[in-house]
Amino acid sequence: MKKDINVNVHHLTRVEGHGNIVVNIRNGNIEKCEWQVPEAPRFFEAMVRERHYSEVQRITSRICGICSIGHTLAAVKAIEDALSIQVTPQTNKLRRILKHAENFDSHVLHIGVLVAPDLLGAPSVFPLVATHAEVVKLVLRLKRLGHEWGSLLAGRTTHPTTCVPGGFTKIPTKNELLGLKEKIIANVDGINALVETVLSLAGKIPDFNRPTEYMAVSNNMEYGMYLGPTVQTIMPDGTKQMYDAHDYRKITNEYVNPRSTAKYCKNKLDSYAAGALARFNNNYDKLYPQAKKIAQALGMKPVCGNPFLNSAAQLVECAHSVYETLDLIEELLVDGIKDEPLVPPKKFGQGAAAVEVPRGILFHEYSFDKEGFCTAGNCIIPTGQNHANIQKDFEALVPILIQQDKNEQEMELALSMLVRAYDPCISCSTHYLKVKFVK
Amino acid sequence: MNYIMGVGNYSMFDDSIGIKIIEEIIDRNLDQGFSAIDLSGNLLNIFSYLNEDTKRIVIIDSGEFDLRPGEFIWFTPDLVVSTKELTNITSHEGDIIKVLKLALETGYHLPPIEIMGIQPESIKSEFGLSKTLQSNMERYIQEAIVKVLDE
Repeated sequence: MKKDINVNVHHLTRVEGHGNIVVNIRNGNIEKCEWQVPEAPRFFEAMVRERHYSEVQRITSRICGICSIGHTLAAVKAIEDALSIQVTPQTNKLRRILKHAENFDSHVLHIGVLVAPDLLGAPSVFPLVATHAEVVKLVLRLKRLGHEWGSLLAGRTTHPTTCVPGGFTKIPTKNELLGLKEKIIANVDGINALVETVLSLAGKIPDFNRPTEYMAVSNNMEYGMYLGPTVQTIMPDGTKQMYDAHDYRKITNEYVNPRSTAKYCKNKLDSYAAGALARFNNNYDKLYPQAKKIAQALGMKPVCGNPFLNSAAQLVECAHSVYETLDLIEELLVDGIKDEPLVPPKKFGQGAAAVEVPRGILFHEYSFDKEGFCTAGNCIIPTGQNHANIQKDFEALVPILIQQDKNEQEMELALSMLVRAYDPCISCSTHYLKVKFVK
Repeated sequence: MNYIMGVGNYSMFDDSIGIKIIEEIIDRNLDQGFSAIDLSGNLLNIFSYLNEDTKRIVIIDSGEFDLRPGEFIWFTPDLVVSTKELTNITSHEGDIIKVLKLALETGYHLPPIEIMGIQPESIKSEFGLSKTLQSNMERYIQEAIVKVLDE
């Protein structure tokens, strides 16, 4: 039957603008099908100008309340690149543990608080307390682990204080690392329980496939998260290509789209995807066996082209983060964790870096004058890189939904789930209270 | 342990008041007998502090209270219901009232919690604070400290 359908998801509840979903179908024909981003520019690149290199990561960490560790790490890596600072192996290990903490924390939040309600048929996590209390408790328990894991390394998970150019201002003690190890081990059963929960709901994840290009940090030392200056893309046919992160402008190719205040990106195709699924597709071989086992149970293998499975890839990464962190802690304990002075700059110039944050590959670039003050900055965040891909997914998915004779409500849910699967971070909204006194 | 926690978004002008108060407390070493915690927008992190050994929590947040800009009101979570609608699209939105309700419903230990709700002058995408809120900073800090140390 040829229907008229109007989907208008506008996030009017926010003080700041966010993403809108607008689909207009007349007599079965698509008149409009848009992912719109009306977010106001935030000018962080301008804010870091004329600031000393030691301040830059503290400013850019404020770009995001969830990915502030990632923004800190991308900034310190880019600053260190510009200042010819080679950090110690201990610093790299601590930073990798910190990166895992952020990804674990954010992924648990996304899977448990945002995706689970869709799969369990609830409008948000709050009603789930009545129907699926054990799932909610499990998610909160794992979220708490992620927070404490990151806080130990970074001083605090939101806007870290200890991770600075040249190293750390404070490192955990041997006993604190042992304590973290015990906490993580004590929560392995929780990870397994979360996997079981998702597996039991996997049939509700939409079956949709749209081949695209996937971009992620990649190197031969780890499942690309933090190390290395290299970026990889994988095409739908499995063809891979490596790039130097310093050439990030040539692979992100930012451009302006009239439906968005955020810039769009593309590389070889009209769009590419960043995020857990992009990492999974690019770096599957370097996943820990326990993580691969979860992927296999979920029926996932590279190259996976279902964007709804980005959340499933996040779950796979949670397991990877747990087991790699346990190994990194063990290495630090064997080597003997020790205070190290910050490595000083050797020069002041220009540098760039790529780091994976929960939502995908993040690029930072800075230039400094001879006194160490920033003269230019550039940050390309993963959600910005995903906007074009979300739009292309919309264009492929809506005709399928029409063919499946979905009604307005079902179409809105499917498109919302699709956007949600990307775990977007359009900008940190305000957390303004809105209450009514009842007593 | 007692805690003062700041909630808000650092880059949304007066919405950052809770975080700015925490910064000021730490910078001036006023956190004696309690810890000052920057929750920012990561509201679920409060669960790490909902332990038996937590005696009292003071939360500072901006909000719409029908007051003059800069004025504030003390209330406990049980006195209000949230009317804020969450989009459930991104993990970047939060509501401390709903989070505390979630904690209660999932069996977490809730110590006495007092919320200082500050009426902003302006919420916009900009760093800083309005002169109105900035000029009240000392009063906010002193009131919060008295409240958190109140036996």
